[in-house]
Amino acid sequence: MKIKASKEKKLFIFKNSLRYFLYAFIILVCFTLMMSGRLLKPVLLIPASICIAMNTKELPSAFTGAFCGLLIDIACGKIFGYNAFILTVVCTFVSLLYMNYLRKKFINFLLITTLSSLLCSMLDYVFYYNIWEYENAETILHTVIMPVFAYTVISAVPLYLVFMLVNRFLMPERHLTIAEAIKINREENSK
Amino acid sequence: MKDFFKSIRFKIILGLLAFLTGVMLFAVLKGGYAVSGKSVINTVTQPFRNLSNSISVKVENYLDKLTNATEYYNENQRLKDEIGLLKKQMSDYEQIKSELSEMKQFVGIKEKNPDYEYTEPAKITGYIANDPFKSFTINIGSDSGVEPYCPVVTSQGLIGITVDVSANSSTVRTLLSPDLSVAIVCPESLNSAIMEGYINSDGETMAHLIHLPRDTKFMVGDTLVTKGTGGLFPSGYPVGTIKELIPSENSLSYTAVVEPAVDFSKLSSVVVIKDFSGKEKHNED
Repeated sequence: MKIKASKEKKLFIFKNSLRYFLYAFIILVCFTLMMSGRLLKPVLLIPASICIAMNTKELPSAFTGAFCGLLIDIACGKIFGYNAFILTVVCTFVSLLYMNYLRKKFINFLLITTLSSLLCSMLDYVFYYNIWEYENAETILHTVIMPVFAYTVISAVPLYLVFMLVNRFLMPERHLTIAEAIKINREENSK
Repeated sequence: MKDFFKSIRFKIILGLLAFLTGVMLFAVLKGGYAVSGKSVINTVTQPFRNLSNSISVKVENYLDKLTNATEYYNENQRLKDEIGLLKKQMSDYEQIKSELSEMKQFVGIKEKNPDYEYTEPAKITGYIANDPFKSFTINIGSDSGVEPYCPVVTSQGLIGITVDVSANSSTVRTLLSPDLSVAIVCPESLNSAIMEGYINSDGETMAHLIHLPRDTKFMVGDTLVTKGTGGLFPSGYPVGTIKELIPSENSLSYTAVVEPAVDFSKLSSVVVIKDFSGKEKHNED
C-alpha cells in the first residue's frame, strides 16, 4: 500500500467536493431536460442516480436516490415522494451490490438500469393507470410506458460515459498517512 | 452485508424511507396544494426549465420540419410566390398583431363575463413528462390568487383545471384526462351529458361523452358547452364538437367522441378563472 504525506487529504477533499458538485450539476441538467418539450422523454434521473450509487456508500446513495426521486416526481407530475421512496430503496440496494458482489463493469450497470427502469415503469403503469381501470389502459403501456422505458435504457449509455469521465479524473484514491499506515501495520502484527 | 442491516446506516435509511412515506401521505392530503419542498424546487429550477423548454420546443419544431420536409417543401414553393418580399416586412407586424389579437380575445372573455375573476394571461412553462393526457405547468400560482381546481381557459374554450398549485406555478389537468369529468350541454337541443378524457386504441388522447341512451338526441357536429351545475366550471364555456357517435358493444348505449374546442398542442398562453358565480368552494385543509 502506498504511503503518502497528509497533504493528500486536502486533495482527497477537493476532488470529492468537485465530484459531488459535478454530480449535482448533471442531476440538474437531467431534470431540466426531462421538463423540456412535449415529446416522450427518458427518465434520465434513474440511470444518473444508479451511476452515482455505483460509486458511493449506502447512505449517500440513499439520499441521492431520494433527491433524484423527488425531482422525478416533480417532472412527471407524480405524488411527491412516490419515486423518491422507490429510488431510495433501489440506490441503497445498488450500492450494497457494488460494494459486496459486483464489479464496476458496463454490462452490470446496464443490467441494473434496465431492471430498475422496468420496475419503475411497471409500478407507474399499475398505480397510475391500470389500477384505475382507465379505458384502453394497455394502450398507455404500449404507447407511453414501454417507449419511455426503452429511451431510459438507451439514454443510460451516454450517461454512463459522462459519469465514467467524471469518476476517472475526480474519484480520489484513498492513500494512508504515515500514522494510519503504522497503526494498521501494528494491528496486523498483533493478530 | 449482514453487518449493514445491523448498522446505524440501515436505521438512518429506514428513517429516510419513513420520512418519504410521510411526505407522500402529506402530499396526498394537501388537497391540491404542492408541498413546500416541491414549491422551493419549482421556484429554484423555473428559470432553467423556461430556457430549456424554449430550446427544446424549437428543436422539436425543427425535427418536425425535417420529418415532414417534402410536404413543407411543396407548400413552401406554393407560398413562396405569394409572399415573397412582403414576408420580411410583415413578420414584425404579424407578431405584434397576433399578440394584440390574443390580448383582445382575453379582454373579450372578461367583457362577456363581468362577474368572473380572471388572472393575467399565464404562460406555459413546460409539459408534464411522459403524461399521455397532456398536462402542463403554467407560470402563475397561489401568489396570483390561483387555487386548486380553478378552471383554465383560452378564448377558444375550456382547457381544464388547476391541480398541484405552488407559489409561482400550477399544474393544469386537461379535459383529455380520465380523472376530469365535465357536465356539458348542447345549447341547441339542451341535451346534457358527462364528458371525460380517454385514450383510444391508437394511443390518441380524446374526450368522449359516456353512457348516452340508445335514443340519444346528440348528433355529429353538435357544439357542446359547460353546463355549470357542478360548481367546478362556469356555465356556457365551449368545450368541443361531437365528431362521432359509436354504439357500445351491447348496443344499449352510445359513446360520442368529442373534438375539443382547443388544440392542446398549440397552446401558448391561458387564463385561470379565479372566481365565478356558482363556484363550489373546496376545502383547503
